[in-house]
Amino acid sequence: MLFWVIAAILTLGASLAVLLPLAGSSKGTLSSGDHDLEVYRDQLSELDRDAARGLIQPAEAAEARAEIARRILRLHDVDTAGKTSARQGSVIARMVATAAVLAVPLVSWGLYSQIGSPDLPSLPLSERLAKNPADSSVDELVARAEAHLTANPSDGRGWDVLAPVYLRMQRFSDAVAAYRNAIRLGGDSAVRRAGLGEAIAGAAGGIVSADAQDAFEAALKLDPANAKASFYLAMALAQEGRNKEAAKAWRAMLGTLPPDSPWRGAVDQALAKSGNPEIASGAAAKGPDAVDVDAASSMSPQDREAMINTMVASLDQKLRQNPRDPEGWMRLVRSYVVLGKADQAREALNRAIAVFGAGSDEAKKFTAFAASLGLMATE
Amino acid sequence: MVETGHFALVLAFALSLVQTIVPLFGARLNNQRLMAVGGPVAITGFALTALSFAALASAYANSDFSVASVWENSHSLQPLIYKITGTWGNHEGSMLLWVLILTFFGALVAAFGSNLPATLRANVLAVQGVIGAAFFLFILATSNPFVRLNPAPIEGRDLNPILQDLGLAIHPPLLYLGYVGFSICFSFSVAALIEGRIDASWARWVRPWTLVAWMFLTGGIAMGSYWAYYELGWGGFWFWDPVENASFMPWLAGTALLHSAIVMEKRSALKIWTLLLAILTFSLSLLGTFLVRSGVLTSVHAFATDPTRGVFILCILTLFIGGSLALFALRASRLTAGGLFHPISREGALVLNNLFLTTATATVLVGTLYPLALEALTGGKISVGAPFFDLTFGPLMLPLLVLVPFGPLLAWKRGDVFAASQRLMAAFASALAAMLVTGLFIDGASVFAALGIGLAVWLVAGALTDLAVKSGAGSVAPAVMFRRFAGLPRSVFGTALAHFGLGLTLLGIVATLSFGTEKILTMRAGETVELSGHTLRFVGLYPAQGPNYSEDRGRFELIGVSGSPVGEISSAKRFYPVRQTTTTESGIKTLGLSQLYVSLGDEGKDGSVVVRLWWKPLVTLIWGGGLVMMAGAAMSLMDRRLRVGTPSRRRKQASVVTPAGLP
Amino acid sequence: MTRKQKRLSVIAGGLAFLGAATGLTFYALGQKASYFYMPADLTTTSVQPGQRIRLGGLVEKGTIQRGQGATVAFSVTDTHKSVKVTYTGILPDLFREQQGVITEGTFGPDGVFVADSVLAKHDERYMPKEVADGLKAKGVWQESKSE
Repeated sequence: MLFWVIAAILTLGASLAVLLPLAGSSKGTLSSGDHDLEVYRDQLSELDRDAARGLIQPAEAAEARAEIARRILRLHDVDTAGKTSARQGSVIARMVATAAVLAVPLVSWGLYSQIGSPDLPSLPLSERLAKNPADSSVDELVARAEAHLTANPSDGRGWDVLAPVYLRMQRFSDAVAAYRNAIRLGGDSAVRRAGLGEAIAGAAGGIVSADAQDAFEAALKLDPANAKASFYLAMALAQEGRNKEAAKAWRAMLGTLPPDSPWRGAVDQALAKSGNPEIASGAAAKGPDAVDVDAASSMSPQDREAMINTMVASLDQKLRQNPRDPEGWMRLVRSYVVLGKADQAREALNRAIAVFGAGSDEAKKFTAFAASLGLMATE
Repeated sequence: MVETGHFALVLAFALSLVQTIVPLFGARLNNQRLMAVGGPVAITGFALTALSFAALASAYANSDFSVASVWENSHSLQPLIYKITGTWGNHEGSMLLWVLILTFFGALVAAFGSNLPATLRANVLAVQGVIGAAFFLFILATSNPFVRLNPAPIEGRDLNPILQDLGLAIHPPLLYLGYVGFSICFSFSVAALIEGRIDASWARWVRPWTLVAWMFLTGGIAMGSYWAYYELGWGGFWFWDPVENASFMPWLAGTALLHSAIVMEKRSALKIWTLLLAILTFSLSLLGTFLVRSGVLTSVHAFATDPTRGVFILCILTLFIGGSLALFALRASRLTAGGLFHPISREGALVLNNLFLTTATATVLVGTLYPLALEALTGGKISVGAPFFDLTFGPLMLPLLVLVPFGPLLAWKRGDVFAASQRLMAAFASALAAMLVTGLFIDGASVFAALGIGLAVWLVAGALTDLAVKSGAGSVAPAVMFRRFAGLPRSVFGTALAHFGLGLTLLGIVATLSFGTEKILTMRAGETVELSGHTLRFVGLYPAQGPNYSEDRGRFELIGVSGSPVGEISSAKRFYPVRQTTTTESGIKTLGLSQLYVSLGDEGKDGSVVVRLWWKPLVTLIWGGGLVMMAGAAMSLMDRRLRVGTPSRRRKQASVVTPAGLP
Repeated sequence: MTRKQKRLSVIAGGLAFLGAATGLTFYALGQKASYFYMPADLTTTSVQPGQRIRLGGLVEKGTIQRGQGATVAFSVTDTHKSVKVTYTGILPDLFREQQGVITEGTFGPDGVFVADSVLAKHDERYMPKEVADGLKAKGVWQESKSE
């Protein structure tokens, strides 16, 4: 609304600039000859000054004076010849005047209605960031945090909060910088180091580079139980083609991870991919990548459980089609135990033993494994 | 606020149409009322354009990413100064700045032109109006800076890092003030052609406008040259790049115009030529705008390439250049030719100046357009660079520079070369001495260096001689001489200063090209290097974080004679993550009039860094001379002669003026 | 001399001056303009050692070798042919493998191109206009290939 008022005022002002001179009195002005005469007079007086100051010789001054006088004389000839009648064409003049007065509002409003966006308010960044956080989009919240950190670059906690958000938004290079700042200001911690490593890897398109590896190793030094660091270090091995070692590392992780760790699913998937290429290639199911896992850690408990359930179900399905996979069976059994579904765990164990035969080495291994989880075969 | 700016821009376009048509009819019908419309409309149009520009600048300053051009060329983390200068650091905004200056000059004519004959004033405003209308239409149709984005992005894509520099605050506005200033001379010329007569007040108006435009263009080019020198990290100050030539051509033509306008004002001679030159100068300004803005050339100046823009500007170019030259062909014969003069006279010298300058302009024009024409016709790609211009532009400038000191010492109508030569003996002697000293006592001085230094001293001493002679040195008592010196017209000082500045610039160029030294080497922290008697120690590379970039700053210490550090230089490699661009920040230490220039190259695996060092003797004079030239123009502008009064007021004054009356 | 003769001599002098300037300009264009070539063009046109040209193309992958001090050797290719280039100095910030460059200099007697300037000016796609046009003409590079 305010915009239209301003636009109307501007249009009025512009129209007045056209209208007022047209309505004004037509005062008689000097002919151009009068203007020329003044210039020549001025030239004469200048000549006098120069002569008085000795800048030109008297003879030259006299000659120049004569020349200016000749110009003045010539001026009079032109002037008497050039008088014209001003009365002509007053009809045309009136038409031009009317058209001009009308043109201003018509052209401006007509054109603006075609190309303008009158409904869009101005959106200065500071204003967008100052509004109620509840109304803001994630982007705006991030921008607000960035603005805060620009003003207070030494706020380590701020960087700590922002870094994982960047990671989730896949703004990896920003995440790298944020984690570095968090470490510099808030001190070293395994979580920050591991996050830094993940960001570096993300920036490299998922490749765990030497830099990322250093970060993960530093994280493990600070906290040997850091799942993210262990996971990615194993991933680094897998990326180098050392699949066996990678699988071993992942399996070791499974032994130490707490039962509710979101990393279990990721490790299972990674093992499925690396350890058993035939299964990985044959199966359509796709494991969660690092970002999914990270997303899982920030999900609500219900969502997270649903995600894990889906993952376990897909593993179960895979084993029905490809039963001769001892590792897979053990993972499935453990998954059900972790989820607190003892019945299904037991059922899976029985199916596994059935596949390999009750007396086989695998069956013994399965039984021992289940026992370690506190689970007995068919009662 | 943003939409208010957009609306104001549209309204300004509507007013420019009125400004074109109504005064033109008024002048044709000799209708006072219609003619009177031009003034208020021009002033209102400027106010609206200024409002529009302010709205855009405020959108930039406040990071309003709902404006497309802000989103494309700004970032919230940029320092405020670069947010604001970013307003014209892109195609759309720079065109808005262009019309802002155009309407500003139009408003000046409207505000201070009451002493002009009414029809001349009306026609001038009409021509200004039509230029404005064409460019407003261009902006609204192809380059609208107020295009909005909905929903608005939360972060912008950053300004080109090369432009994130103070140079952007100074160079384009100065350059545009120069380019567009010549539009007034153009409008006066076309108005004179429409009327079919040249008033005596015509020259009085065109000369100060030429001075203003020339002054700003000089500053703009000098600033652009210095900016390229320190920002691009190559240590060069002029590259004969087509974009540079685009600004240099109007400067050369404008310099010619400046000189021919003097003849026209003083002697009423060279009228038709001056008029043509005014048209050509602005045409070259338009050509420069076309070359830079159409994307025909690739350079830092080509912000975006959009073929419709190129075609549009080409149409504007054809309309104005073709139209004005056609009008000239039709009407020039009706204009009366002016006074006669002897070939050897002040007029003759100025004609010679014009001959050299316009020919030089033509060679630059050929060198700039020939590759474009060749590519369009045959598809062959060539580049015309420094070697071409050294061979063509150089030989043309040389005799002109030799002749410069003679001009102001020759009398009007009929001069005496012999007398002028006698007066210049002292200047000649000092030039010769400088040449001998350079040639004999400086190691490695070439013949070119000796001649160049001699020529520069000749210009400087010639300018001083001019002042001395006009004060009556040697023929009158010192007290009289001092009084005369103080009483000299400002324009005499202006001429002397401008020629003096030209000499300084030449001195800087010759000294830098002949005696500059250069070293490229790899350095490790702690190592020292010597260059032309200066010892630099590489302290090391230090990472640092800027507001929107990260950098590796290489620090160097300048070691004094005693072995202790006397100064520090640092050069940096900056990385701007948003645009994924690396830039080099050169390190410059000014020692007297000379500079030590350090530029950082790639980092080796073993921690060593490629370093490029230059010693540039007297290099600051190149741009310092430009500043002196600007001061000369400013001095000339203050001359009382150029303050043309209205007839009524003048009549009273004329009776007061006595021969002894000093300004 | 009569007045007419004087005027004629002034006009003749002016014309002679303009003629000389025009001649000089065209001579300079023939001598001093440097032509732009891509590596494959060099098989069809003969370029004398010492003749100044501009050579454009892509920096071939894996050919950048840093030698003594600030000397760098690399190959410029248009994917059909490649040419060895040496350059002493600081490479532009945008100089990278597989990206467009324009080098200016002369061929040495050994067939190695000795560049005295290396440009990596670019538009949005990191490609000098000449190189992009040249590659397009050879069918190596399409607009759509880049994002």
